[in-house]
Amino acid sequence: MIMMVRKAGSLQTRLFLVFFLSLAILPLIYDSRSLYILCTQIFIFAIFAMSYDLLLGYTGIVSFGHGMFFGIGAYSVAIFMKNFGATTGNFLFGILVAVVIAAIISYAIGMLSLRLKSHFYAMLTLAVSQLLFVVAEKWRSLTAGGDGFTFSVPDFIRDRFSFYYVCLLAMIVLFFVLRHFVQSPLGKVLKAIGQNEQRAEALGYQIINYKVIVSVVAGVIAAISGGLYAGMLRFVNTTVFSIEITLDALLMTMIGGIGTLFGSILGSGVVEIAHDGLTSLAKVHPIFERWIIFMGLLYIVVVLIFPSGITGSFNNWLEQRKKVRMQQKEIQMEEAGKKAG
Amino acid sequence: MDVIINLLVNGLATGMLIFLLAAGLTLIFGLMSVLNFAHGGLFAWGAFGGVWIFGLTGSFLLSMAGAIVIGMLIGLILERFLIRPVYGDHIQQLLVTLGGMLVLSELLKVFWSPNPIPAAVPSYLQGSFDFGGIILIKYRLFVILVGVLIYIALHLLLTKTRLGLIVRAGVIDKEMVQALGINIKQVFTFVFLLGAGMAALGGSLLAPYSGVIFAEMGMQYAILAFIVVIIGGMGSVPGSAVAALLVGVLGSFMAYFVPELSLAVNMLLMLFVLLVKPSGLFGAKG
Amino acid sequence: MLLQLDQVETYLDQFHILQGVSMEVKKGSITVLFGRNGAGKTTTLRSIMGLSPIRHGNIRYQGEEIGQLPTYMVARKGIGYVPENQGIFTDFTVEETLRLAMQKGSDEEKEKMAWMLDLFPDLKLYWKKQSGHLSGGQKQMLAIARAYVNSNGLLLIDEPSKGLAPIMVEKVMMHIEQMKQKTTVLLVEQNFFMASRIGEHFYIMDEGKIVHSGQMHELTDDEEAKQKYLGIA
Repeated sequence: MIMMVRKAGSLQTRLFLVFFLSLAILPLIYDSRSLYILCTQIFIFAIFAMSYDLLLGYTGIVSFGHGMFFGIGAYSVAIFMKNFGATTGNFLFGILVAVVIAAIISYAIGMLSLRLKSHFYAMLTLAVSQLLFVVAEKWRSLTAGGDGFTFSVPDFIRDRFSFYYVCLLAMIVLFFVLRHFVQSPLGKVLKAIGQNEQRAEALGYQIINYKVIVSVVAGVIAAISGGLYAGMLRFVNTTVFSIEITLDALLMTMIGGIGTLFGSILGSGVVEIAHDGLTSLAKVHPIFERWIIFMGLLYIVVVLIFPSGITGSFNNWLEQRKKVRMQQKEIQMEEAGKKAG
Repeated sequence: MDVIINLLVNGLATGMLIFLLAAGLTLIFGLMSVLNFAHGGLFAWGAFGGVWIFGLTGSFLLSMAGAIVIGMLIGLILERFLIRPVYGDHIQQLLVTLGGMLVLSELLKVFWSPNPIPAAVPSYLQGSFDFGGIILIKYRLFVILVGVLIYIALHLLLTKTRLGLIVRAGVIDKEMVQALGINIKQVFTFVFLLGAGMAALGGSLLAPYSGVIFAEMGMQYAILAFIVVIIGGMGSVPGSAVAALLVGVLGSFMAYFVPELSLAVNMLLMLFVLLVKPSGLFGAKG
Repeated sequence: MLLQLDQVETYLDQFHILQGVSMEVKKGSITVLFGRNGAGKTTTLRSIMGLSPIRHGNIRYQGEEIGQLPTYMVARKGIGYVPENQGIFTDFTVEETLRLAMQKGSDEEKEKMAWMLDLFPDLKLYWKKQSGHLSGGQKQMLAIARAYVNSNGLLLIDEPSKGLAPIMVEKVMMHIEQMKQKTTVLLVEQNFFMASRIGEHFYIMDEGKIVHSGQMHELTDDEEAKQKYLGIA
């Protein structure tokens, strides 16, 4: 049994590697700026969505303000680039500062609300993120308010081709780091909490500690993705704090499949490509400007009917098939045994 | 002095609007354990629907009644098709009501406009009263009056009628209510519709009050209502009334004296309650 | 037989709590269900009420299958329920609690109410008092009165002695015995000495199964069984 799991694990890893490798080759085959931009955006949001999956999919924590960490990352990088110059060092330093701020805020929110029922975290994150939105609007000397500001970036970020690889690499590295994290003993506890909190508590786990750890890790990773996002746009304004950013993460993880990490990458691809496609349809009919309606309806259908998303549904299907085959095999063996007997 | 009184009246009026939103939210939460993130959508639909009907008929009374009907219709759809299928699963409920909110506010942009649209005060509520030098705007007093009437009606409903008894008992112990031979799912639907109607009424009252309406205002007010529900205690109508007035008045004074802090003060109030008494001022549930 | 359970199996999450429980309650009697903590006594009552849905087996009340009915329908068939935590509506007055329990306000219900108030004069005394502020014993009586007024023929009472002072336990048990004049009772208890005085039939549960049953006086005399199942020397 253990042998089989290990085998399946390595098969999965190989599939991931093939998938990532093909993404690495893609720019070498298709030389298209718009494709680079779309893919880079997919990678960045995949990182963001993975961080959300850690909360929702693995630990069962619902956040409605996760976008605030994304926004913190974006503003931190943007402010450093603008005020201290477009160097790689400042870019990294901006991300570092964002990581620290995100860690502090996510720790505080977690400590305050994670010992209470799930909706407290959802509400508190929503409220704090709205507060940050207002701060970004009002603190004009630093953020230039709703208009936002542009800034220049180092060449490796400016160049769409090289930044494609930066973001792809970041996504791959964080994917494996997070995968390692959720497969570690600590990750097992998280999953136990997500499935049945009372039971995990009865088993003697200090649930609050685990939840706060997850809250912080998710916040930090979201901040990194936000920093990359600002780098890609070379521009920042208050929309990075808007609720739509959190909704994106929700859509992506739910559609891709929660509790799988890889689902977040798929979900990011689906949502971004759909966004791209639907907005370009706006010329055909103005309703497509409101592409969020379609995403919202899709999201509702997913929550109600396919709560395990693409990846989860696929896994379920695979398992179902495996079961049926095993049963068939058993029947065959039994019959063969009978004949022999 | 007249500044203080005006700020107070202003704050009370805003508080009443928040109360209309929070009362439904807290009852729905207390009874069904559903935190309805789509509640702000009902509020916004009430506002848009009210303005639209007022434009068609010119009757403000009709526009309020119409808003309530619209809110209840949407509430019926939400309850039937979004909340009931995932009843009992808190995470799915949270997720699905947020999806409902998203679709509701986007649909507003489709039916009306993604840009803010103006809303007028009916002629007989325009202008102000002069109480010996203190000038009070009529419409604000009207909003307070409606809020008080709704509170009294709600109070009577909850204490004097059998249905109200069932709702209150359900907030405390749902299983026991069913063990007394009461089909609580029917009561859920009723409470959801009641909450939806109040939210939509709140929206329709807000429209002339703020002068413009836009799709995002649903979420803005919903956040205030969430804060109020936490402060007042989940499931408690008097709690949400007190907290709503507190938030409204505090907000109005802060906006005048220290405008930078006006949103922060609500947040701080909520953080304080979360730290000191997470079950809220009047709450029995944690 | 008023109530019959036949091979009832109930799961909570993935845990197999009731593993084929069969028992009967005779009309006009008090039947006591004994067993240690976690034996499945409470789940048995909850399964009858439909609060913990049964997966297999049958439950018949007055010959009618009720095993798959939702809780409110079970209650409407006439079964009253007093849960382990009493299920008091804390911010209700005594009057409001009993008003809620009267489903139709019929003469029959009023008669029941009058009898309850005769039996528990305290309730009349504290008619307008918030039930959350009543004493433990008064809460128990309120819960029993509420269940009786609401029911028609059978009361399920879950550990009424829990958390009460010994003198109150005696009083509550006495009242339960008096109620036998008008209704049938299925009583879950851990307090053997008290319950054995009022019960006529008994069942003993362990690990989700009935392990022993019979007439109460048989058990009172059977030191070996008491030792084995109830840990009483």
